[in-house]
Amino acid sequence: MHIPDGYLSPQTYIPLMGVFVVSAALAVKNVKKEVSARNIPYLGMAAAFSFIIMMFNLPIPGGTTGHAVGSAVIAILFGPWAATVAVSVAIIIQALIFGDGGITAIGANCFNMAVFMPFAAYYIFKLLSSNPAGSARVFFAAFISGYLSLVMAAVLTAAELGIQPMIASSSDGKALYCPYNLSISIPAMAIGHLLLFGIVEGIITALIVSYFFKNEPGVIYAFRKGGKNGD
Amino acid sequence: MGNNIPSYLLQTSIDQYKSANAKRAKLSFIDKTILNSATAVKSIYLQAESSVKVNFIQKVNPYVKLILLIYIILMISIVSNPGKQILVTVFIFLLYIIAKLKIVQVYRKVFLLSFVFGFLIVLPASLNVITPGKIIFNLVTFNKPSHLWIYDIPQNIGCTSEGFQVVALIFLRVFNSVSFAMLIVFTTSFPAFIKSFKILGVPDTFLMIIALAYKYIFILSRTIEETYFALKSRLSGNIKTNKIRKLISGRIFFIFRRSMIIYENTYYAMVSRGYGGEVRLYSQKHFAIKDFIVLGIIVALGIVIILI
Repeated sequence: MHIPDGYLSPQTYIPLMGVFVVSAALAVKNVKKEVSARNIPYLGMAAAFSFIIMMFNLPIPGGTTGHAVGSAVIAILFGPWAATVAVSVAIIIQALIFGDGGITAIGANCFNMAVFMPFAAYYIFKLLSSNPAGSARVFFAAFISGYLSLVMAAVLTAAELGIQPMIASSSDGKALYCPYNLSISIPAMAIGHLLLFGIVEGIITALIVSYFFKNEPGVIYAFRKGGKNGD
Repeated sequence: MGNNIPSYLLQTSIDQYKSANAKRAKLSFIDKTILNSATAVKSIYLQAESSVKVNFIQKVNPYVKLILLIYIILMISIVSNPGKQILVTVFIFLLYIIAKLKIVQVYRKVFLLSFVFGFLIVLPASLNVITPGKIIFNLVTFNKPSHLWIYDIPQNIGCTSEGFQVVALIFLRVFNSVSFAMLIVFTTSFPAFIKSFKILGVPDTFLMIIALAYKYIFILSRTIEETYFALKSRLSGNIKTNKIRKLISGRIFFIFRRSMIIYENTYYAMVSRGYGGEVRLYSQKHFAIKDFIVLGIIVALGIVIILI
């Protein structure tokens, strides 16, 4: 799901960078409000966790790469704004230090995996779980939220790639950026994430959220009403 | 941070203990992924830390390096001619020579990343079904053209010269971007580089989380590796899948809890040093004349490459 440099045209990555910058500014503001000063360093851990999860990736011809992200579990445990900050940090470190995902595509990658995905996961989880919920229901809701949010984010990534031949081609029709149109990029990204990576994201989310639900339910942000994280 | 490489990164790899446990419970996929990721993380950390040596490029102000990184990456992104991209490749290679980096070691990594992200993924674009043009290498010939769902399948499928040009352009873009980013990373201390983002107006809180996450990635990769081997050394024979799942989820939870304790300790250490919830990172050293010279030369060369 990491879009490398060279796949997106400036008319795509510049607006997405703008959307990400605004989202990140809102996220930092909300995190300061929602998360106690004591837990700010803990977001570093969440970012590191997401980073490790994203390291297990496979290339997808016709798209980019496929992998789990860890956004869903962070959004459910710490809240979607905290997930935006943590996963953005992981993506920025990957792009700058590890060459995984492009520097020009930081805005697009962060928008897909750190803005869209955590909010999708959080609200799917809220919709499917009830408070108080049984452990089976929490497991199911967490799995579906992880699975669906990743698949939706993968399709969003595919759409960004798939519009490139339409908006940025040379005068003789040759692709200047991602050469795959929507009819190739969407099936390529969707199939891999529907059949494999979505299930991995769902299982990771379900296992961790279930464990916290059994052992420390008070930690789960999605079940708390108001108050600061960790207070 | 300086050159203080954590002692555990200099220890012999835990791989040597694998053979003794080779016939224990089979978790080969997890074995490979955990070992590979831990090795990759360690090697990057070691390379990045050990390369903070005193050299001309290493001494350039991190603010200037950040501006150059953005400028060069944007330039690579808009140049759509493979020939000009090759000029950029040569230019970056010269900077590597000036920086006296371990060229083979770094370029091996750059090539691997570019091969995966810039070649394998985009290789199908060389076919005429994606990039129409004159076929120069025929792969398959059917009796007649056909139509499958939303796809038109021509009678001949093969690689086109136009397709190869598209693949070459994207490969070179990925290669140049990764190699320039690595040049900056391997010639700058990470905390100094992250602080330079202040020039773009990035909030200090965000930068502090990046710095903490960077350190924590290496601690976490080590914890996962140790936890996994501790778990594996206690398993033997065929373990049922659901038991493995429970064990692994327990270990993940343990890592979460352990990291929470580490971060509580980090928080108390920060409080004892005056942290009250407001994060303020101090600015870097001031610009020197040589910083402006480097900035001017590289910007001018970039403009020349775009214009020729």
